[in-house]
Amino acid sequence: MRAFKLVAARDSGHAVALLTEHGPSVKVLAGGTDLLVDLKSAADVPDVVLDISRAADLKGIAVTERGLRIGALVTHTEIMRSPLVREAVPVLADAAHTIGAVQTRNLGTLGGNLVTCVPSMDSGPALIALDACVAVAGPNGTRELPLAEFFVGPRKTALAPGELLVAIVIPTESLGKPCSFLKFGLRKGQALALVNVAASAWIDPDRHAFVAPRIALGAVAPTVIRAPQAEASLEGRAVTPEAMAEAGRIAATEAQPISDFRASAEYRRELVAVLTRRALAAACARAEGAR
Amino acid sequence: MSEKRTAAEKETLREILPEVGTEHRLPATPPPAQYSIETLVPEVRQQTPAVGQRATRLDARLHGLGQTKYIDDLAFPGMLHAKIKRAGVASARIVCIDTRAAEAVPGVMAVLTGREIPVNSFGPSIQDQPVLADERVFHAGDGVAAVAAVTEQIATEALERIVVEYEPLSAVFDPIDAMKEDAPRVHPPAGNVYAHKVIRKGDVERGFAESDRVFEGRYATQMVEHVPIEPHAAIAQWDSNGRLTVHSTLGRITLGRTDLARTLKLPVNRVQVVGTIVGGNFGGKNEISQEPVLALLARKAGRPVKGVYTRREEFVASTTRHPIVMDYKTGVRRDGRILARKVRLVLDGGAYCSWSETTLGKACILSAGPYKIEHLHAEAFAVYTNKTVTGAMRGFGAPQVCFAYESHMDEIAAALGIDPLEIRLLNAFDEGSSSPTGQTLESVVVKASLLKAAQRFGWREPRS
Amino acid sequence: MSELRIMVNGRVRTASVPPETTLLALLREHFGLTGAKLGCDVGDCGACTVIVDGHAVNACLVLAAQADGREVVTIEGLAPADPLHPIQQAFETHASLQCGFCGPGVILSAKALLDGNPDPTTAEIRDALAGNLCRCTGYTKMIEAVRVAAQALRGDRDTGAAAASPPAWSEA
Repeated sequence: MRAFKLVAARDSGHAVALLTEHGPSVKVLAGGTDLLVDLKSAADVPDVVLDISRAADLKGIAVTERGLRIGALVTHTEIMRSPLVREAVPVLADAAHTIGAVQTRNLGTLGGNLVTCVPSMDSGPALIALDACVAVAGPNGTRELPLAEFFVGPRKTALAPGELLVAIVIPTESLGKPCSFLKFGLRKGQALALVNVAASAWIDPDRHAFVAPRIALGAVAPTVIRAPQAEASLEGRAVTPEAMAEAGRIAATEAQPISDFRASAEYRRELVAVLTRRALAAACARAEGAR
Repeated sequence: MSEKRTAAEKETLREILPEVGTEHRLPATPPPAQYSIETLVPEVRQQTPAVGQRATRLDARLHGLGQTKYIDDLAFPGMLHAKIKRAGVASARIVCIDTRAAEAVPGVMAVLTGREIPVNSFGPSIQDQPVLADERVFHAGDGVAAVAAVTEQIATEALERIVVEYEPLSAVFDPIDAMKEDAPRVHPPAGNVYAHKVIRKGDVERGFAESDRVFEGRYATQMVEHVPIEPHAAIAQWDSNGRLTVHSTLGRITLGRTDLARTLKLPVNRVQVVGTIVGGNFGGKNEISQEPVLALLARKAGRPVKGVYTRREEFVASTTRHPIVMDYKTGVRRDGRILARKVRLVLDGGAYCSWSETTLGKACILSAGPYKIEHLHAEAFAVYTNKTVTGAMRGFGAPQVCFAYESHMDEIAAALGIDPLEIRLLNAFDEGSSSPTGQTLESVVVKASLLKAAQRFGWREPRS
Repeated sequence: MSELRIMVNGRVRTASVPPETTLLALLREHFGLTGAKLGCDVGDCGACTVIVDGHAVNACLVLAAQADGREVVTIEGLAPADPLHPIQQAFETHASLQCGFCGPGVILSAKALLDGNPDPTTAEIRDALAGNLCRCTGYTKMIEAVRVAAQALRGDRDTGAAAASPPAWSEA
């Protein structure tokens, strides 16, 4: 790896100050599972690497009046083991478990996964399906925005210069919402997703119908996207295998997959249809289990 | 000497040193054997004292403790680190190489290019591979220059200061295309087919004429990289008597020693190659690669030089398994008995020969499968392409043809409505059968193995 | 330069290294602990696995500075004296390693697993080893050895004795 200057932040405020001080040629280091890989093959290297891995206020999972707040530095392993997560949003633990392997889950952070922002990210779909927001700290203070707006394009987020992702918030109204995440990769471990899908919905107990369905698709568009037409086909509709299969078919048309050496666009569309159907069924099974 | 010691000294010595009398000396000539020496020739499939017994691997303990020393775990005083610049273009003429900027980087102790190699060619059978590409680049993994520096970091950065001007030339990537008359020649003026083998047995056209049905199929396998977890590594150092010692992950050290001596124009007795526990070979470490480069850098710098491949170099610059395009034509009786088989194999021979001839030979001989075939014509070609060098990889041509003849067999069975196991039992070798090249086979257990496997798998049980 | 103070295998070690130095390079080149291996340098193969503050991590993806003040366990720290650690003993008995290059990483991943989960299922063992690639063995004997080592570590007297003797292979 090429030489760089390493500075360390005590907390998020210090990190923001250091970002402002050192200007645009700074890379933020958290778990290192993406950044260090990039630095080892990069043609040019940043002058400064800002290590935020010891910023204590970016750790921790807690229930606040806004919902469940997950610090940006929380690792995938910590998400898998968190009693709060397993209680309120177990789908996040499922998604975290599909990332890499034990070693990379022990290092990799939720914030890092979101900021790296590849279309196939495994943490994104479930968070989108739960209407998550993110908290961003900058020189002018902290702002909140929906996660869907945070993703701008492949490897491009809404972070302005000098800004730092500090937390992910799953709003109170989404806590306990039945949600399922499925990933299809060429291996069971250490694999990128060819397609990943999250689906969430409340089930109206009287009508046995979908309420507030959400379908999030990954690896089939420049960012993680919703499938609004598929969602609309489910809203208020009775929960039946046919409804779920149709939602899958519609979602497949809303995907914009590419063909690459891993899979063709056609195959990815087929995966969207199947995984959407299965994720909906699994979410419904979770709803049944909760009742 | 002992007479000069005092009695007191001798007494002390006797206490602290064990008594060593003449009866413990090794005899100058070994004593006659007290037991009869007979040569044991075990009967086929007879239990011998060693086979089938449990034994603990001698290296198991060291592995578990992390004490096994692989090449990259070794270091020598003053050792430098080398990196090789890879061409990154499949086919080109090297117009010029400018290393001055690299030489000026602080910490760079030596830079090397192809024209400094005494004999710039090597290879286990055909010496068609340059140590460092000098005038021509034949595949993207070709090394074009090398640097030795005090740290790997400096060596890597210095590589980028080396400026190479390429004139791109036409390239060919598909082995079937490469066989055509008008295909770009990888190693001009020679044509692209560099090895060829034919096995003829009986009269294959007559066999087809006598067959009830004839089946044809094309099967193709992909390039495979060994991915040993340990990358290629070597350390070269000279002594003041002009003797070179190379510690290397190289598997075939005697062959490598000769090849290395040849490239450096040294007598073989000036070259010592030290092999050690290797972290995975699988055929990929069967010939020299960076050793001549490291040796010349070490000579220039006057210090030991270590080179370790990056994982990327393992993929682009080390040898791989041959992709093979396999055309099969088989004539059968309606009961599934094979009467005639015609096979054409086209091996993607990569940019250099490496172990292609051996692979070609084995693939060709084994291409008929373990089946009794009276009329056989198997023809195999190894063809140059401007791609990664294809060489030895476990199986040496056997896995590819096995995929082909077994897939072919399944297709024939399906078409004839015969059970895939039955068709194999009908055709498989027996004790004393003749191989395609006329070898009488002994210890033939094909049918017994198939039946045992079938029983284990529950082949004949009804399936859901 | 990064000034470091790290507890390595129970002993405090200090170093002064360029900031871009990885923990792997620190261990191998500065501390002479060559058990952790360089296989890919990008956290895919797991040959560099060490345990930091109780977590199995890829040392090639951790900057040495990030390990400052932390506790690191490498393969050399598992059994500084006789006897072998039960995982090492089981790997030896079960012939779990061939070329051995992936061995230190696998054994440390297993140790990290068993430290937190003394009675893992086979699926949990597989999950724990999923980040350690092996090209030689096919993993089966490693998984069995970890299972047996877990028994031994739990102090199960009956099966602990069995762990010392070779496994019964299915009849050939």
